[in-house]
Amino acid sequence: MKRRVVLVDDHELFRAGVRGELGDAVEVVGEAGSVADAVPLILQLDPEVVLLDVHLGDGGGEAVIAGVAPERPGVKFLALSVSDAAEDVIGVIRAGARGYVTKTISSDELTDAVERVAAGDAVFSPRLAGFVLDAFRDGARVGDDAELDVLTAREREVLQLIARGYRYKEIAARLHLSVKTVEAHVSSVLRKLQLSSRHELTRWAHERRLI
Amino acid sequence: MTAVSAARFEPSKDDRIVAGVCGGLAATLGVDATLVRLVFALLALAGGSGVLLYVALKFYADGRVVIGATLVAAAAAMLLLAIGLSATAVVGVSLLVAGLGVILVRGGSLRPGGSLPVLGLALLVGGAVVFLSRNGASFSLVAPGSLIGALLLVVGPWIWQLVSERSERIRLEERAEIAARIHDSVLQTLALVQRHADDPARVAAVARRQERELRRWLYGGGLGSADTLSDALAEAAADVEELHGVRVELASAGDAPLDDAVRQLVLAAREAMTNAAKFSGAGEVSVYLETAGDSLSVFVRDRGVGFDRASVPPDRRGLVESIEGRMQRAGGTATITSEPGEGVEVELTLPRRTS
Repeated sequence: MKRRVVLVDDHELFRAGVRGELGDAVEVVGEAGSVADAVPLILQLDPEVVLLDVHLGDGGGEAVIAGVAPERPGVKFLALSVSDAAEDVIGVIRAGARGYVTKTISSDELTDAVERVAAGDAVFSPRLAGFVLDAFRDGARVGDDAELDVLTAREREVLQLIARGYRYKEIAARLHLSVKTVEAHVSSVLRKLQLSSRHELTRWAHERRLI
Repeated sequence: MTAVSAARFEPSKDDRIVAGVCGGLAATLGVDATLVRLVFALLALAGGSGVLLYVALKFYADGRVVIGATLVAAAAAMLLLAIGLSATAVVGVSLLVAGLGVILVRGGSLRPGGSLPVLGLALLVGGAVVFLSRNGASFSLVAPGSLIGALLLVVGPWIWQLVSERSERIRLEERAEIAARIHDSVLQTLALVQRHADDPARVAAVARRQERELRRWLYGGGLGSADTLSDALAEAAADVEELHGVRVELASAGDAPLDDAVRQLVLAAREAMTNAAKFSGAGEVSVYLETAGDSLSVFVRDRGVGFDRASVPPDRRGLVESIEGRMQRAGGTATITSEPGEGVEVELTLPRRTS
């Protein structure tokens, strides 16, 4: 069965492009170009996955997630953006998106990412993995919950391989793990990213405006 | 320097009693015509200056500004005489007004290099001297104050202008910079895209290069050449994309300032990217920069055909060796891992200089 997807991006041309790239692999049930249009549309259509631009004319992707999540907790968000500003990327992830991919992603990888997010996994692009590793850099622990504030050695290893351009299957082979285990590590990182009160996450995101 | 442009007004054709001057003035000033006429009538009673002013404005409206201005001055002098000032005082005031008028019309600047309004200043000082000398001792206490006041009247506007001009100039410069930037980069890229519309790989490459440049300009270290490792890597990646039509995906955790050794690291990474782009056959190269506590690492990876180190053709071995040699000379290491069919990963590591 095809995944039901809603596209939210303020550039119509880009939506058309993504729709074309996704082709028959998923069913694009709706499109919106603003926060105001997107929230009611998503509530009404109840799709499995929302492909969400980080920047929208009337607010960010965060606002869409905030408007939808309380009523439709089952809807999964995948951020799809050209934005490289770390604070934006981390912001939308912390708001609840299950992954972040750049708009230059290939069609196959995008289809794969939609599928993975729909199945409840997290999707990290190399760039996001780099951001996260930087945000969880060793340093003084300041949060209350130590477990949420640091990455395990294994999680770090997995993220580093993602940043280096390895796919889950390749990571699994290299670390002698199952793909499921790799996915579990990534999901765990996502959870920490969303729940950690680690000061560095916010401070870092604001201080760093890079690449 | 802008000369102050006088407000234009035209004698009214509909609202007229004599020549329509009062009606026209009222329309220009946005007040009631009757009020204007009343003022003129009162001025006419005061030594006839109202009549003179009326004629002056008529000349002015007809475009004969000099005659108009002269008549206005005469009218003002008559008015001052009428309200009881002495002739000397009137001359003094006239000189002051003439000085201000000259400065306003001809402009000038107190900035270094600007043209000083010599004539205007001379008239002002002369006017002040005449005015004050006539009034003698009784004004001697006020004299310095009024002189300073007169100077402030002249200098104040320039200081104000200086400040507002400066911010205006900065704004214009910024605009010009943005315009130049967009012209040099975005417009050129769009032109390239149009010319190479039939070559998707090239179009994609120039578009990505443009995206990178704009992004660096918007979010990163700004204009000019790169001064950090990640900026320099992004530049190298953009060059390789453009030259070889592959995608280079750059991720980073941490950054470092550029020094000579770090530049060697960038050059080695660039060679590794070029190598991957030329020989791997893969459409994408991944580059990851990581700064650990005491070292900098750059990973360059492709998912291409890979190679067996032992059976590398000489031309390619040269590249590989130059990467390793470069890193060794810089005090670092290069590790190249590959299996046929498994792609290549080059790991470049450089000890971090503690400064």
